[in-house]
Amino acid sequence: MSKMAEYDGPILEIDKLSISFFTRRHEIPAVMDFSVSVQPGEAVGLVGESGCGKSTVALGVMQDLGKNGRIVGGNIRFKGRDLAEMSADELRDIRGNEIAMIYQEPMASLNPAMKIGRQLMEVPMIHEGLGEKEAYDRALEVVTDVRLPDPERMLQAYPHQLSGGQQQRIVIAMALMSKPALLILDEPTTALDVTVEAAVVELVRDLGKKYGTSMLFISHNLGLILETCDRLCVMYSGEAVERGSISEVFDDMQHPYTQALFRSIPLPGADKNAHPLVAIPGNFPLPHERPQGCNFGPRCDYFEPGRCDQGEIEMSPVAGNDRHATRCLKHLEIDWAAPITLAEQKEKTQPGKVVLQVDNLKKYYEVAANALFGGGAKRVVKANETLSFAARESETLAIVGESGCGKSTFAKVLMGLETATEGEILLDGNNIEQTAIEDRDTRTISDVQMVFQNPFDTLNPSMTVGRQIIRALEVFDFGSSDQDRKQRMLELLDLVKLPRAFANRMPRQLSGGQKQRVGIARAFSGGARIVVADEPVSALDVSVQAAVTDLLMEIQRKEKTTLLFISHDLSIVRYLSDRVMVMYLGHVVELGDTDQVFSPPYHPYTEALLSAVPIADTSVEKQHIVLEGDIPSAMDPPSGCPFQTRCRWKSEVPGGLCETTVPPTREMQAGHQIKCHLSDEMLARMSPVITVAAE
Amino acid sequence: MDPLSWTGQIAFLNPVLALGLGLLGLSVLAWIGLSSLLPENRAITPSGAGLSLPTGPRELSGLVVRLAFLLTAAVIAAYLVLGLALGTGAGIIGAIAQRLLPVWIALVLLFALSIRFKQRLGLYGKLFDSPIGMIGFGLVMFWVFTGIFGAFDLIITHDPLAQLSGLKNKVPGTPLPRPEDGDFQWYLLGGDNLARDVFSRMVKGAWEVVKIAPLATLFAFMAGITLGLPAGYFGGRIDTILSFLANLILAFPVILLFYLLVTPEIVQTGLPQYMAAVLFAFPLIFFTVLINARFRTQPQQNRLWLSVVLIPLVWGYFSLINQTGSKINFLPQSLDLFNIPGGILVVFVSVVFVNSPTVFRIVRGLTMDIKTRDYVAAAQTRGERPWYIMLWEVLPNARGPLIVDFCLRIGYTTILLGTLGFFGLGLPPESPDWGSTINEGRKLLAIYLHPALPPAFALLSLVLGLNLLADGLREESMKD
Repeated sequence: MSKMAEYDGPILEIDKLSISFFTRRHEIPAVMDFSVSVQPGEAVGLVGESGCGKSTVALGVMQDLGKNGRIVGGNIRFKGRDLAEMSADELRDIRGNEIAMIYQEPMASLNPAMKIGRQLMEVPMIHEGLGEKEAYDRALEVVTDVRLPDPERMLQAYPHQLSGGQQQRIVIAMALMSKPALLILDEPTTALDVTVEAAVVELVRDLGKKYGTSMLFISHNLGLILETCDRLCVMYSGEAVERGSISEVFDDMQHPYTQALFRSIPLPGADKNAHPLVAIPGNFPLPHERPQGCNFGPRCDYFEPGRCDQGEIEMSPVAGNDRHATRCLKHLEIDWAAPITLAEQKEKTQPGKVVLQVDNLKKYYEVAANALFGGGAKRVVKANETLSFAARESETLAIVGESGCGKSTFAKVLMGLETATEGEILLDGNNIEQTAIEDRDTRTISDVQMVFQNPFDTLNPSMTVGRQIIRALEVFDFGSSDQDRKQRMLELLDLVKLPRAFANRMPRQLSGGQKQRVGIARAFSGGARIVVADEPVSALDVSVQAAVTDLLMEIQRKEKTTLLFISHDLSIVRYLSDRVMVMYLGHVVELGDTDQVFSPPYHPYTEALLSAVPIADTSVEKQHIVLEGDIPSAMDPPSGCPFQTRCRWKSEVPGGLCETTVPPTREMQAGHQIKCHLSDEMLARMSPVITVAAE
Repeated sequence: MDPLSWTGQIAFLNPVLALGLGLLGLSVLAWIGLSSLLPENRAITPSGAGLSLPTGPRELSGLVVRLAFLLTAAVIAAYLVLGLALGTGAGIIGAIAQRLLPVWIALVLLFALSIRFKQRLGLYGKLFDSPIGMIGFGLVMFWVFTGIFGAFDLIITHDPLAQLSGLKNKVPGTPLPRPEDGDFQWYLLGGDNLARDVFSRMVKGAWEVVKIAPLATLFAFMAGITLGLPAGYFGGRIDTILSFLANLILAFPVILLFYLLVTPEIVQTGLPQYMAAVLFAFPLIFFTVLINARFRTQPQQNRLWLSVVLIPLVWGYFSLINQTGSKINFLPQSLDLFNIPGGILVVFVSVVFVNSPTVFRIVRGLTMDIKTRDYVAAAQTRGERPWYIMLWEVLPNARGPLIVDFCLRIGYTTILLGTLGFFGLGLPPESPDWGSTINEGRKLLAIYLHPALPPAFALLSLVLGLNLLADGLREESMKD
């Protein structure tokens, strides 16, 4: 079984592809009239929000649409051959051999009962009939290529023994085992942490160059596409709306949706006044509710009735650019350079008195080695280590860090779901760190509320929206009658800009953004003064993120709430927070005003985090810092400075201090503290990670 | 009167049925053979090519299977329709079809209404999208209606306890030797060894099952849920203890337990009654906690709801466990609403006792999964009490698997009732329930086949129906 003959046209050519899914009642078109071509060695990005059909395209290329999916028009040519005309046997030869696919969830792509080495060796043994010895050598070579430490030991490991980042590297290695001509990556880094993501992305880019593999990179993150791809295709509601090279689409966009998308993501290079977020109005249309004419029409600023809502709109080439096309009738008339019309400037309320004071907070968990009989040695997980900060009224404090840094544990202690091991939390001067939630009075509980991360999980699926808000009001002792509470519930729906009719809806009838709004309404129902927002927008689509973020800030201004904004997305943190606290393995490594944290001197970890954030702006230049390895486990933290295992500045500290002593917290400027051993001169020598090139 | 043959005037359908069944069998074999031998085809269906005749031998064999199935189904429907029209003219089948007329009407009405309004009926409506689920539901409802109408004496032809001389062990279709006016003229499915009508006993036996099985299963669920929720939610020591108890009960030999419970010496000690007092208290606990958790912040409403729900429940509970002349006898005669015969009580107790540990484990597992959701965390952070979270946040979202298991478990309970009847435990000896009738028929099985078979088929089709219904529900609840 050899590879297909050499072919020097485009590797993949998709021409006017339409894919539909058939349910018992009707046909749901998932992809319509989609064309794209991938040249040898080229990386093409496919961007769009969830439900826009980008993954369906990938499945179509693999000819794996399941029972209900069917290609209803157009064709897919791989190296010049129509995939639809191939027999099942021919397809089997191509899949995994010529076309390899990498999915979002690495653990789901690996067989948990088989050693890594076996799984890798299987690929060339099946497809090329290689012997065991050659296959092993190939596996070793590829595992070395994906920069995993100690490749020989890796091959002997089972998937669960590796971390998420290592697993994804193995999946990439597996895809590369057969040296495919085309690699399809479906959101390969979404499940990973930012710094790990940056390393994986760099790896993918380098390997693409080394092996000469063409890539189809599917993502919702424009910044990632910018860093990995040569060309991109923007999809909206089943259609490609704009197609072109990275620089053309990023700097010379010709479709209103692309423009709206860029305007709705915060860029860490610019501040919020110069670059305000503009949310896209309305909702993503469901597949069977697509409008006539342009799918984006109802949400478009340039919509022209009678023209944009008539008939089919074809892709039309943009004059002057190479292979740049857009699906907009008015792209020649729109003034693309026009500045964003600024919404009314909102007066920033000044932070008031200190509401929340956290002092030397520690939270340790004891994990028994033997769960059943409680015997054996106890191990201590230090989830929070000497946390100290203060938060003022109507202030936004961002807590930044990757998974395992202790931010969720802190939220639990603050909410009273856990009690602290040591230290104090003062709410209005009263200690609450040892009061579990059952013992707190109603006032304290309703003062500290939380907005959750996953919109699909935040509401009880079997209770109406109105009922859930009313329940919160009941618990917070609001009002004296059901009538009062109902009235208040309707007002809360107004507050989060949802129609009052939603009170009788079930959560499954709401979109993700709408559910998140209900979650916000519920959190504010008792007049909360401190709201912990745990990544409230990270699971939402880009165009909805801006609207929900703005809503949160607006309510905050109105209610003078203290917002503790937990996030790993530094772009959004820069956009909305007043102060930033960076956490790593339970330690606060840096704390200060937003401007202080985002400009040098940095803590080395902050520096790496900033560098890892993908930024969707071609004029931004970043310092390239890639962290080696993974985040250590909190069960077994490194000695001395928690960050010393991955720090690139470690060699600058004399005497191996980093490995022996936990660094002291140092005050750099007023209110800016860093936990690091680096000398003042070294810190002063740091240069900004993100610079906006002069235009 | 002449004896009835099986098909009477519609005997002409018999060869057609034989043909249909033969064809079905052969075509299924051919289809399986062809599917495993021929390579699979990839579905390349260009648009617009929906309704063309299949070409390959594979597709052709599939088509033949479908046609043969339709033919068989049509013949069976013809038997029923002609039987309805001709009555005894169409033999035993016709006569039975006619006797079951109320059941057919009820089934047709139920299905017509349900399919008409299925969009608005939630999960129940979606059941009518699944052929498996519809068949299962049809079978179950057939026996439910048969049981209900049988209880009103609409279907039965004779008193199930009456013995007519000269009809002992007579074959199906035997006419009555000395019919009186108004008597039905035949023993449709023959007579048993005490000369009672097998058909009427089978119909009456359906009522025994329909009456006991769902109710006993419901009690088992109440107990399982009330204990499973805290075990799953709190975990730790409570979980360890409760799970250990559940394992203990599951490990106990069921039949031995039943024998013990009906032993007179044990009944004398009042043990079954004490067990009933404990097991039947679970619904009370369940509803008290349910209401209390919901209206914790509104004492006024709380009292109102508690009294509305609890007073009848408590009264029912006391009437249930109170029995004159037994260990538990404290209620004045005038307040005792009803008396459950001791045997039935034992049946109830054993069924609930044996089923609830399995329900407990299912609920415990579901709770452990659901308690990690954000909406549970949201409830915790607004200071809800654990029981509110368990009953109002966790339980409603565990309902899908629980409904499916409920259907399956009614099936197990039916079998269990059959087993109890078969061993003659609990129910009175002349009771027409299926287990007892099978046991009696078994004794002469080598000579007279007919008394044991109808109740056995009835049991089989009801349990099959319940299992298919559960499958259909599972399939449909996983969609959308």
